[in-house]
Amino acid sequence: MITIALAKGRLADEAFKMFEKAGVDVSGIDSSSRKLIFETISPHIRFIMVKPSDVPTYVDHGIADMGIVGKDTILEEGKPLYEMLDLKYAKCKIVVAGFPDKKDRLVTSAHTRVATKYPNIARTFFARQGETVEIIKLNGSVELAPLTGLSDFIVDIVESGRTLIENGLIVLEEICDVSARLVVNKVKLKTNSTEIRKLIESISDVLGDAK
Amino acid sequence: MRRLKVTLPAGMQDYLFDECFNKTEIESKLRRLFFLSGYNEVQTPQLEYFEVFTGIKASIEQEQMLKLCDTDGRMLALRPDITMPIARIAATKLKDEPLPLRISYIGNVYRNIFSQSGMQSEIAQAGLELIGVANAEADAEVIATAIQSFIDLDIKEFQLDLGQVEFFKGIIEQAGLDSETEDEIRSLIERKNMLELEILLKSINILPAIKEIIYDMPKLYGNGDMLLAAAKISNNEKCDKAIENIRSVHKILKAFGYDSFLSFDLGMVQTFNFYTGIIFRGITSDLGYPICGGGRYDRLVQEFGVDMPATGFAIGIKRLLMVLERQNSLQQIPPVDVLVAYEQNQVDRAYGLVRELREQGKRTEVFVSSDVAISPEAYALKKRINEIVYVSGSGVTSDILIKKE
Repeated sequence: MITIALAKGRLADEAFKMFEKAGVDVSGIDSSSRKLIFETISPHIRFIMVKPSDVPTYVDHGIADMGIVGKDTILEEGKPLYEMLDLKYAKCKIVVAGFPDKKDRLVTSAHTRVATKYPNIARTFFARQGETVEIIKLNGSVELAPLTGLSDFIVDIVESGRTLIENGLIVLEEICDVSARLVVNKVKLKTNSTEIRKLIESISDVLGDAK
Repeated sequence: MRRLKVTLPAGMQDYLFDECFNKTEIESKLRRLFFLSGYNEVQTPQLEYFEVFTGIKASIEQEQMLKLCDTDGRMLALRPDITMPIARIAATKLKDEPLPLRISYIGNVYRNIFSQSGMQSEIAQAGLELIGVANAEADAEVIATAIQSFIDLDIKEFQLDLGQVEFFKGIIEQAGLDSETEDEIRSLIERKNMLELEILLKSINILPAIKEIIYDMPKLYGNGDMLLAAAKISNNEKCDKAIENIRSVHKILKAFGYDSFLSFDLGMVQTFNFYTGIIFRGITSDLGYPICGGGRYDRLVQEFGVDMPATGFAIGIKRLLMVLERQNSLQQIPPVDVLVAYEQNQVDRAYGLVRELREQGKRTEVFVSSDVAISPEAYALKKRINEIVYVSGSGVTSDILIKKE
C-alpha cells in the first residue's frame, strides 16, 4: 500500500483526475465529503487529506510515502524531500510586488518592510540579494499591506495578476515559477520502491501524453 | 517561572522506565558488538571549543550548533557530532598508537533545531570510526558492522543504501563548473529534482555528453546491476575509480553474506561535506528517515594536524527505538522476582537473605513502607511481584502469589 498526502481543495481534485488517468480507480472517492482518509483498492492507495503546508511534514516523517503540493509550499517548508515530478497544473509565480512609484526603493531604502505568507522564501530571496528586510508574516489578503502602509512590498503568489492590478500594485521582481509537484519520502523511495516507482512511471506517462 | 520549571527545552526529552530500559538494552548490545569487533570505546566532553567543529569546509552549519561562552569569552559548542572530536584525539593524543585505530563511542550530540519540527536537539548516538586505512576492506568492515548491529538488534527489513561521492566529483571536475553551480547541482541531485536540474543544465555551457550524465544521476539508484550501468556511462578516471571502489566493497560484503541488505544510490551526494568516498545510510520501511549514516572522510583528521584516512558511522538510538516500537519488538522490563518482608528484630537475617537472592541473579526488593495500611501482599500484587519471602522470629516462609505457567 502507498500512502499519499494531498492538499485539500482544488489541488486535490486535480490530483484525483490525474490519478484516474494514471490508472487508479478513484470512482469510490467523493472528494467533496468531509472525510480525511480515502482508500482505493486497485492499486491499494490511501489518500490522506491535509492542509497544503502540512504535506511536506507528513512526507518528511514518512507517514505518507509521497505527496502532492505546490512548489511554493516546498520552498517555504524547506524539508529534505525527493521532488520527483512537475505535475504542470496549478501554475503560478512567486513575486515581489509593490507600488510602481516605489520601485527604486528596492535598493535605496534603508529599512524595507515586506509582508508575506512566505516568510522563509522572502528571507532567503532578500538575503541572497544582500538586502536586509523586515519580514511581516500575514495569513491572507497580503495585497492590503502596502495599501494600508503596513509594508513597502509584498512577496506573494500570483496566478493572473488581477488582484495586484485591481489594487494598483505591480510585479517588481519574479522569484520563481510554481506548480504542483510530486514529492517522495527519501527512505520510502528505496524501501517501497517497486510500488512507488510503478506509480511514478504511470503518472509520468500521463504527463508525457499531455505535452 | 513555574511553566519553565516543569517543562523541557525544545527537542529535549526524559527517558522514562520502559523507554530507558530499551535504550540501555540497545546500547549494551551495540557496546558488546563493537567490543567484540575489536573497537575500544572513548568518551569525549559534551562541550568543546567551537573551532573543533568549523573546519576548512564546515560540515555542520553554525546555525545548527548550540553555543555558549567560557569565562574568557571564547566560544564553546555543545558537540553537534562525535566524529570530529574523535578526529581531534586521533590526530593528537592517539597519534602514536599502532594503526589502524578502532574507536567506538556511545553518547549524546546536540543540534539547534527549529522548534515544532518534531526532531530532537539532544540526540543519542552510538558509532565507530576506523582510522588509518584507506582501502575497500576498511569500508566493508565498517558497513558490515553496521549491518551486524541491526541484525543483533532484531531490526526487521532494513537495508544499507551505498553511494560514492567521488563519482559526482569526477563529473563536476570534468564539467569544469564553479563551486557555486556545483553546490546547486549537488543539492538538486540529492533531492532528485529532475525538473530544476534540467532547467539549470540548459543555462550552463558544458559538453552535452556530461550534461546527460548529470541529468541521469538522480536515477542512478537500485541494486548492484545499476553499478554496471553507471560504469558504462562514466567516462573519466575519477568516476571509474569511484565505481571500481564501490564494487570492490560490494564484493567483500557479498563474501560476508550481506548482499541482501544492500542497495546503491550514486545520486546520494549531500549529507556531510566532509565525506570523500563511500557513503551509506541505514534505512527501514518503518521510519521515514535514516537510522544510521556514515562513510569515508579522508581529509578530516588532517585538519587536526596528522593526515590519516578514516571511515565510520553513527546510529541514531531514538530512531532505533521508534523502529522497534513500530515493529512491536520493544522489551518489557522484567518484574522484581522476590519481595522480602521482615519483622523489625529480624533485619540482619533478612538482609543476609536479600544478598543471597541477589547473588542468585534474582531481582529482589525489600518491603519498606511508610503506609501502615498497605500489606506486603497488596504491594506485591500492585507491582506484579510473584514471590514474597517473610522473615520472622519463627522462621523464613515463602509465598508464591501468582503461579508461573
